[in-house]
Amino acid sequence: MSTIALTPMLGGLRELPPLSLYVHVPWCVRKCPYCDFNSHEVKGGFDEDGYVQALLSDLETELPNVWGRPVRTVFIGGGTPSLLSAGAMTTLIQGLRARLRIDPDAEITLEANPGTFESDKFKGFRDAGINRLSIGIQSFEPAKLASLGRIHNGIEARRAVEIALSHFDNVNLDLMYALPHQSLEQALADLDTALSYGITHLSAYHLTLEPNTLFAAQPPANLPDDELSADMQEAIEQRLAEAGFEHYETSAFCKPGKQSRHNLNYWQFGDYIGIGAGAHGKISYPDRIERTMRFKQPAAYLKAVAEGNPAQSRSKIARNDLPFEFMMNLLRLTGGFESRLFAERTGLPLVLLEPALRDAEAQGLIERDLTCIRPTEHGQRFLNDLLTLFLKE
Amino acid sequence: MNHIRNFSIIAHIDHGKSTLADRFIQFCGGLELREMSAQVLDSMDIEKERGITIKAQTAALTYKARDGQVYNLNLIDTPGHVDFSYEVSRSLSACEGALLVVDASQGVEAQTVANCYTAIDLGVEVVPVLNKIDLPAAEPERVAQEIEDIIGIEATDAVRASAKSGIGIEDILETVITKIPPPKGNPDGPLKALIVDSWFDNYVGVVMLVRVIDGSLKPKDKIKFMATSAEHLCEQVGVFTPKSVQRQSLNAGEVGFVIAGIKELKSAKVGDTITLATKPADEPLPGFKEVQSQVFAGLYPVESHDYENLRDALEKLQLNDAALKYEPEVSQALGFGFRCGFLGLLHLEIVQERLEREFDMDLITTAPTVVYEVLMKDGVLLEVENPSKLPDLSKIDEIREPIITSTILVPQEFVGAVMTLCNQKRGVQRNMQYMGRQVMLTYELPMNEVVMDFFDKLKSTSRGYASLDYEFKEFQAADLVKLDILVNSEKVDALSLIVHRQTSVYRGRALASKMRELIPRQMFDIAVQAAIGSQIIARETIKALRKNVLAKCYGGDITRKKKLLEKQKAGKKRMKQVGNVEIPQTAFLAILQVGDK
Repeated sequence: MSTIALTPMLGGLRELPPLSLYVHVPWCVRKCPYCDFNSHEVKGGFDEDGYVQALLSDLETELPNVWGRPVRTVFIGGGTPSLLSAGAMTTLIQGLRARLRIDPDAEITLEANPGTFESDKFKGFRDAGINRLSIGIQSFEPAKLASLGRIHNGIEARRAVEIALSHFDNVNLDLMYALPHQSLEQALADLDTALSYGITHLSAYHLTLEPNTLFAAQPPANLPDDELSADMQEAIEQRLAEAGFEHYETSAFCKPGKQSRHNLNYWQFGDYIGIGAGAHGKISYPDRIERTMRFKQPAAYLKAVAEGNPAQSRSKIARNDLPFEFMMNLLRLTGGFESRLFAERTGLPLVLLEPALRDAEAQGLIERDLTCIRPTEHGQRFLNDLLTLFLKE
Repeated sequence: MNHIRNFSIIAHIDHGKSTLADRFIQFCGGLELREMSAQVLDSMDIEKERGITIKAQTAALTYKARDGQVYNLNLIDTPGHVDFSYEVSRSLSACEGALLVVDASQGVEAQTVANCYTAIDLGVEVVPVLNKIDLPAAEPERVAQEIEDIIGIEATDAVRASAKSGIGIEDILETVITKIPPPKGNPDGPLKALIVDSWFDNYVGVVMLVRVIDGSLKPKDKIKFMATSAEHLCEQVGVFTPKSVQRQSLNAGEVGFVIAGIKELKSAKVGDTITLATKPADEPLPGFKEVQSQVFAGLYPVESHDYENLRDALEKLQLNDAALKYEPEVSQALGFGFRCGFLGLLHLEIVQERLEREFDMDLITTAPTVVYEVLMKDGVLLEVENPSKLPDLSKIDEIREPIITSTILVPQEFVGAVMTLCNQKRGVQRNMQYMGRQVMLTYELPMNEVVMDFFDKLKSTSRGYASLDYEFKEFQAADLVKLDILVNSEKVDALSLIVHRQTSVYRGRALASKMRELIPRQMFDIAVQAAIGSQIIARETIKALRKNVLAKCYGGDITRKKKLLEKQKAGKKRMKQVGNVEIPQTAFLAILQVGDK
């Protein structure tokens, strides 16, 4: 008698990573000149019920790929998903829960922009099941908001935070620094205003001129130079540390235990279903890891959903791209990662990275011990230089 | 033979030589209209783009003259730049006459004068032509006077022409027939054919351009090279119209090509005499001087694994450019590469450009230098063509640098500025002559000053009017020192220079500061120092970047962010890693961007 051993496929994944859900709502009141996300101006309004139904149909096409896997976090992003009514939000979340095993204590975040804040609506969002808000404040200063092309002013920014905190206890604010004409003092003043509200999470982004945006084509005048913007970053980091915030990712800071669990799953190379126009997903199987992408234009997406095939592409990550893609995420975390995670999430042995790791160590960009690999402070500052070491030749 | 005329055209760059050649070919029906492209004789892309002629080309033309007789005209096109002056003299020695083409709006230029003298020395009849007479700024009378003043040939009845608009083309051809003598030679004597040029063709092997002096040559003849005694079987003879057209034979007085199944260019040396193995001539024709490299530079692949490709590319280039010399060299900073010898800066630039364009090479070129004679204390005389190879100063008795005699023709209003420039470059004035509107300055100049940026400076101080010709004079002892550049305390041998002690401190400072501009900021501070021996004379710091990190990266960003980083990496790849510092290609030529005090 011989026995047949049920061993996992060689080079494959022994266990599948945690799963999240990303839902994209592509509309905004106005497109901001720095934004490179898939967003479209609402103009004459949009059919929110139709879109919510499309999202749910979209999800159903993905269910066979994640059968039985619990969903740890949900993020409804955009665009400006806070444009949805509370009723539409309720339908959406109920629909998601009906189709997926969403953990009872799942983090469910909604991205919201000032200018769309009404107290009743946000109470409705909470009742629908949203338990975390991420607000795109960017700045509290009217002149800076105008230069960024935001629809809200300083007063609306403050009101948005107040409304948010009256209904939610887990709130993130997005701030930008190195804005046109911004001084170090102004950058810190924005930060102090944000901290005065008792938020749990803050993202501080260096304004980046992304390709294919209006700002890339016509850069705004009087941007702070490299020295000043680096000073701003250091001052911001220092003040946040003093305020009891932990710096856990390149641009992300939180009160103890209040990391964005959803984003953390991206950065830990976890899986995520991506539904909605232009949404990206990453789904692991025992023998491969795939990236999915939905049609970008809302009209094309709705048509594709109606035809039962909303994914524009579904492609396997090439084996020799995996190390870089893993590192690109994990090394953003200031605390680094447990070394075993590499094999667990990519199915590849860590020794593949040994030459690059040694090089990075020699350059003082990472440090490692028996269980962990983490970027040094130098490595965090020069993350791009560090990451290029892991690009395939 | 009375109906043959062999002639070339002497002209300064831009004075319209190639256009005039086009007109002749068109007028005599050498090419159908549909086959004409502008400047047909300039066949290399670089020649067309830069508007210069590098290699000599020929066209055999059939012209029915006004006297009703048909003449065979052989036009031998010549390069116009000083770097290629040796090609000019070769072309001229195949001719009985030369058209001196002068732009009627510009006047005579130094290079033209030099080539004219070469022609006169070789006994070639010089026939002046005033071109571009249809330009509003044309002053044919004044320029004719200038030709008489400066060159000393009769020019009052010089043909007025415009190659561009086709004015006076037939008049020029008539003058060629009346003024230029037919070739002399013995059609029945033993074969003597001078190799004027040779190049490698991928299909037929070596092609030789020859001028038959005596006798005749036809396919199946067994030919002999008089310098090497090598024998080959003649396979084809013919002429260029400028298309290649096969002929039954090439006879005394004619210019044409010979193909003899030769695989290596060095077997068909330019200047050698071809004769028949069965009925050899007694003695060879005088031939030409061997070409000497004047300027040296290191060529290195940016990526070290391209070394073999670079060697192949140089080998292939040399097939058509015998003046290019190269030998392997190792630099601590740049790895394996080649030290190459060139005729001049333009030649260097052209070789570099052809390597990059035709062979897709990514190159680092080190600053051009000249060859120095170094007399050691033990009496040994060394030739140093790479500054980093200069022996320790304590063992050197003296360093001698090459001095050239340069002739500069410049309009009067710029004389002062040009003289100041020559003085800055350690020039010694030998002569100054007023010739009509222009002044001819003769200076002895250290060649190492000239190879840097003299030509560009000369052009800019004279608003483009000054022209330069030069020839090597002698080696002269000078107070020279080696200037080293250190990057993060490491000496970068490829950046070493030999400079005069007087200017060394200034140059060192200027170079260090230029390097600071050219080396991009990196993750750490970079110190750039200039040193003479162990003494540091300048120091600059390239401050470290503060950060290099992408602010955002979420689930949907992976592909886009990855592209950004791939771009960063590709940018780094084009730089050379010296120690832990990435140095861009341009920094190795930084010295060329350093001004004078």
